[in-house]
Amino acid sequence: MLDNTLRQRPLALLAALVLAQVLLLAFQIKRDHDVRLIRYWTTAAIMPFERSGTWGFSKTGGIWSNYIGLRGTHAENARLQAEVDQLRLRNRDLEGQAGEAQRLSLLLNFHEAHPETPMLAAQVIGASADPASHTLFLNRGDRDHVRRNQAVITPDGIVGKIVEVFPATSQVLLINDKDSGAGALLADTRTHGVVKGSGDPDPRLDYVVNDEPVHPGEMILTSGEDRIFPKDLLIGTVSIANQGNPFQVIHVRPAARLDRLEDVLILLTPQELKKANESADAGGADANSPGIVQKETAPTAVSSKPPSASPATQSPAAAPTAPKN
Amino acid sequence: MSYMLNAGAQSESNIEVHKYYGGTVIVTAFLALVLQAFLHKYGRWSELVDLPLLVTVYFGVSRRNPVTGMFLGGAIGILQDALSHDNPIGLFGIAKTIVGYLASTIGARIDTQHPVSRLALIFLFFHLHQFIFAVTERVLLNHPEPFFTVRLLVNSVATAVFGVFLFALLDRLRRSS
Repeated sequence: MLDNTLRQRPLALLAALVLAQVLLLAFQIKRDHDVRLIRYWTTAAIMPFERSGTWGFSKTGGIWSNYIGLRGTHAENARLQAEVDQLRLRNRDLEGQAGEAQRLSLLLNFHEAHPETPMLAAQVIGASADPASHTLFLNRGDRDHVRRNQAVITPDGIVGKIVEVFPATSQVLLINDKDSGAGALLADTRTHGVVKGSGDPDPRLDYVVNDEPVHPGEMILTSGEDRIFPKDLLIGTVSIANQGNPFQVIHVRPAARLDRLEDVLILLTPQELKKANESADAGGADANSPGIVQKETAPTAVSSKPPSASPATQSPAAAPTAPKN
Repeated sequence: MSYMLNAGAQSESNIEVHKYYGGTVIVTAFLALVLQAFLHKYGRWSELVDLPLLVTVYFGVSRRNPVTGMFLGGAIGILQDALSHDNPIGLFGIAKTIVGYLASTIGARIDTQHPVSRLALIFLFFHLHQFIFAVTERVLLNHPEPFFTVRLLVNSVATAVFGVFLFALLDRLRRSS
């Protein structure tokens, strides 16, 4: 049967025979770079299909990944957006906690620097509804042994004093309230005066005569004469000092950020703050208690003035620091 | 003994198919290859005659079977390639396969017994063989093998003349019918 087939199709057999010998030649012949001809031909024959296949697969894959595979993208995008929102909230929460931890750390450092003074940390939980009244509410009250006329400070500087005490809360009168006042002195000249609220964000330093040299940036400290704030706590710095009649008009920039208070310290007694390591480090300022200014930093020449020469020496803090009620 | 070829075209029905004693074809082809290689040692004059080609053409036109013709041509050509020192196997094989096929096909259609027709047939097949050989060399090996030269013409004439006598000699190896 095969013989008949071969006899009937000799031309096909011839082609097969010639092709077989061509392939035999291709196995032997080497072209450029010592590549056998059969490999050369095979590569030339296969590569267009492979290239087409690769192109087809890449296009198909592109269609799949860019169109069909994006079916769930909308839902995934919504899910991711919700996750981003949650993470943002979480991030804000953590940032708030970090800020709180930093503030509490400052308070703790301040407290540890003055172990001799009983003090109580408190959080600001509210403010006055009256825009003209600069008062705050703290989360400490009578149960925490908070009493009226106790000083409220921060490590930066003084804040105000307790004017009302409730069982669990208390109200603070800020130093920039128009009814507030604190005994003060200029750090450089030791000139006494009274820091009084004016209703503006910045309080005033009153009762400083025009002859006293006052320059902007000069520190203003508590004098301790009001028996509320211990002596030498930082109140703020002089921002503007102008001649007035009969006293200079001195604007004070409070050291404590009265508009952004969150955590404060209540001094449970008017006991004067002292540096914990005063004996070991008498000449330098304590980094943990920035609100406290060393007595040695003040010039002694000014303090030699007769008390009667300045109106501040006439117990100026007594009247204005009296509680409203 | 001769018989009428049943397969193929109707025109083949009146052409006589020759038979040879057993081993004649193989021995003749082998001797042609040996002589071609042997005589090559004694000078280039041996290149004048292509004995393997003559054997291929003779048995192709005598047996008049394209299948056996192409196989015989292919085998002779491959052996000729094997005996050459630098030819890749298949170079002569392709040419002689086609020549064997065509010789068998033509032998089945026309009378190839007359010396003149044999002379012309051998001459034409020589140049056809050279043409196929040159094409194969050019395409596959990138060798500029010539299609036609004066030397090839001389060789073809010499082979054709020698072939007429050789064919007559080989006719004696036929089995009587």
